[in-house]
Amino acid sequence: MDLDADLDIRPAPGFAHASEAELARILDFYAVAWEYEPRTFPILFDRSGTVLESFSPDFYLPELDVYLELTTLKQRLVRKKNRKLRRLRELYPDVRIKLLYARDFRALLFKYGKLALADALTGADGQTTPPKVRRVGPIAGPAPEGIPLAPAAAGPEDPPTDRASRDPAHRADHGRRRARPTRSAARARAASQLSVAAESGGIEVTA
Amino acid sequence: MTRRPDLTADVSEVLLSEEQIQAKVLELGRRISDDFAGRELTLVSVLKGSLPFMADLMRSITIPVQIDLMEVSSYGGTATESSGLVRILKDLSSSIDGRHVLIVEDIIDTGLTLNYLVRYLRGKNPASLQICTLLDKPARRLVEIAIDYRGFEIPDQFVIGYGLDYGEAYRNLRFVGVLRPEVYTDPD
Repeated sequence: MDLDADLDIRPAPGFAHASEAELARILDFYAVAWEYEPRTFPILFDRSGTVLESFSPDFYLPELDVYLELTTLKQRLVRKKNRKLRRLRELYPDVRIKLLYARDFRALLFKYGKLALADALTGADGQTTPPKVRRVGPIAGPAPEGIPLAPAAAGPEDPPTDRASRDPAHRADHGRRRARPTRSAARARAASQLSVAAESGGIEVTA
Repeated sequence: MTRRPDLTADVSEVLLSEEQIQAKVLELGRRISDDFAGRELTLVSVLKGSLPFMADLMRSITIPVQIDLMEVSSYGGTATESSGLVRILKDLSSSIDGRHVLIVEDIIDTGLTLNYLVRYLRGKNPASLQICTLLDKPARRLVEIAIDYRGFEIPDQFVIGYGLDYGEAYRNLRFVGVLRPEVYTDPD
C-alpha cells in the first residue's frame, strides 16, 4: 500500500497527537461540532486545596454534551489514564465522557478502510514531540466544595503528566467552537510550558 | 494482487443464523405494524448494507408502508473525501413532510452516519422520526442515539453478511458472521 498517497500522519498544529487530528477530521466529515481540550478538570488536591493533578479531555462535542478522550497507548499502558477517568467520574458525575482506547481507534480507522493509518498513528509514533523530562509545579486553585482532598501529593511513581497539569495557561472555559489552535498558539504554549518549568521548583515529570 | 473473497473459508464464526435473523425480523415487523397502525409510515433504508434487512422487514410489516432509499458517502472513501464533508449520494425520492418515518439500518456502531441522517431528515418535517436497526454494536458508539427498534446487540467483532460487507464482498451471505482477522491483515 502506498502510504504517501492516502495518509496524512502529520498532526495539525495544536494537536498533541496525529490520532487526535484524524479524529477531528472524522468529526468534521460527519458535521459533528467539536472543541479541542476546552476544559480542564482538577482531579487531585492537596490539603490546602491546591490542584495537584488535572485532566483535560481531548474533545468536547457541544451539541451532544459529551467529552471524548483518545489514547493510542498500548492497552497495558493505559492504567493511569483509566485511573484519571475514574476520578473524574467520581468528582464530576454529571460530566459525560467516553474513552477511546487504541483498539477502538484502530477499529474506527479499519471501518473507514484506513488500517495502515491506524498502525502509523498508534503509540508514540504519532506524537507531535518526542517525550522529554520537564520540571513543573502544581497548579494553584481551590478545590471544589465538597470534594475530598488527596491524602498526599502525587508521588514520583504517579506524576501528573497530562498537558493541563503541566500548563496552567492551558486551562480554558467552554465557548470555543472548533477552536483548532494555530501554529503560533502552539509555539506560545510551548514557550509558556518552558517558562513554567523554569520558574517552578516542582516535581519532575516525564511528558 | 487483490485477494479473492471466499464466502465460506473467510468466516470464522456464524454469529446469527438465517433462522435467528428471520425470527427477529418477523418480531420487529409485528411490533412496527402494531405501533404504526393507522399512521402514514415511510421506511427509509440506508444503502447499501441495509438492503436485505429492508427487503425482509417491509414484507413482515402488515400495514401499508411506503419505502425510500438513501445513500451517504463514508469517511475515507477517497483521499479527497477524507478531507471533506459527508455527502448525500442518493436522496429521498418522495417527500416525508407530515409522514411518520422509520430509518432502517443494518448496523449502528459509531452512530456518526446515523446522527447526520437524523439531523438531515428532521429538516424535512416528518411527523415523527424513529430508528430501527438489525444490529447494534454499542461498544463502538461515539454518538449516543436513541434506538426504537433493535434486533440484536452484538459484541465488538467485525461482522459480515446479510448486507454487511468487507471490501464490497460478503453482502450476499444469508447469515451474519465474523470475518477472519487474517482476511483484513493479509497483505495480499
